[in-house]
Amino acid sequence: MSFFKELTKGIWKENPIFRLVLGMCPTLAVTTSVENGIGMGTATTFVLVCSNMVISAIRNFIPSKVRIPCFIVVIATFVTIVDLLMKGFAPALHKNLGIFIPLIVVNCIILGRAEAFASKHPISRSIADGIGMGIGFTLGLIVIAAFREVLGAGTITIWSGMVMQIHDIDPLILMILAPGGFIALGCILGLMNYIQSVLARRQGRSYTPPQHLDCRHCVICKWGK
Amino acid sequence: MKEFFKLVLILTLICTASGVLLALVDQATKQRIQEVERAAKADAINKVLPPYDNIPAENTCTFEKNGANWTFYVARDKGLFAGAAFEARSSKGYGGDIVITTGIDSNGIIQAIEILDHKETPGLGANIIKPGFKSRLAGKNIVNAPFSVRKDGGDIDQITAATISSRAVLEAINDGLNAYKEHIDSIRTQGERL
Repeated sequence: MSFFKELTKGIWKENPIFRLVLGMCPTLAVTTSVENGIGMGTATTFVLVCSNMVISAIRNFIPSKVRIPCFIVVIATFVTIVDLLMKGFAPALHKNLGIFIPLIVVNCIILGRAEAFASKHPISRSIADGIGMGIGFTLGLIVIAAFREVLGAGTITIWSGMVMQIHDIDPLILMILAPGGFIALGCILGLMNYIQSVLARRQGRSYTPPQHLDCRHCVICKWGK
Repeated sequence: MKEFFKLVLILTLICTASGVLLALVDQATKQRIQEVERAAKADAINKVLPPYDNIPAENTCTFEKNGANWTFYVARDKGLFAGAAFEARSSKGYGGDIVITTGIDSNGIIQAIEILDHKETPGLGANIIKPGFKSRLAGKNIVNAPFSVRKDGGDIDQITAATISSRAVLEAINDGLNAYKEHIDSIRTQGERL
């Protein structure tokens, strides 16, 4: 039961993009086409699952004083492996995502999950957490990317070559550019909060916006104390 | 002091383990990556050249011009010079270097261009990889080079809102064509000698 719960929480309840608001740099950078979102999400999921697994396995072995360097070494190793494998076996994908792969090292979702979850929980639950968070991240990227691509380019690119033309009128190029990322993310976050507040009201509960969730799992600023 | 050594030891252990793992993966993928890169290059050359019956990737000649090396991949068909392809690079792209392969046939007509690498803005400059832009250069005679975009008085339509990227592509091609024109005789001989 708990395994399944860890798996599903990343998709909605603790979605890394919309609920935890982690990994904003890659989110804003890659969501210019659905294809990029899928690729980045898959690569991040792979790294997340591997790093969660390894960090959980060696969690009792790592002294807390040097845990961050240890986490970063483990994460960077898997990122480099993904980079090499992609270059060799999925060159088309690597061509699109090439500059984003090294960014996964500093993607705070991965370090965040290592610190908040994998270093405190057994391997099986850490893997479930990694898969769930990865899927949640991928879905979040796809939602934002679809929003931006439809408005900004008038297409949906699922895979290079598999392009759906949605409308033929002049697209709103702004949505593909950097400001469009902020606008799209803001609109979707607002919409999600609205839906949740309506749902909560129907159930007669009061709804608190996810401000307190923002850094719920991140304890970095509490280390000094 | 004892704790200090423990920290150093554990960090060293973890780094060594990851180093070994990376070395193994590198060993396993090195050859494959080289093959993929070579295939991508050969594929681009293949796409831009007229029909040929030799191996242009192995039939090359290199010239030095303004400190840059220009390599021409010479195609030959039934014993005659069929055309040549070259790889050109422009650093004036909006997001970084743009690498282009251009193919010219024996009559000096540009056959096609292929964008090998670019970092242009998705949805704007990145449209240089679309057939709609690439085909604007096909069929142009190199005697009309250097080419320029309509905005600069030339006859190539730039991509709307991506003039810088369009210009960079043309700049790279023009540079290559200069080198090609300068050495056309030796490139021709290279095609016929083999």
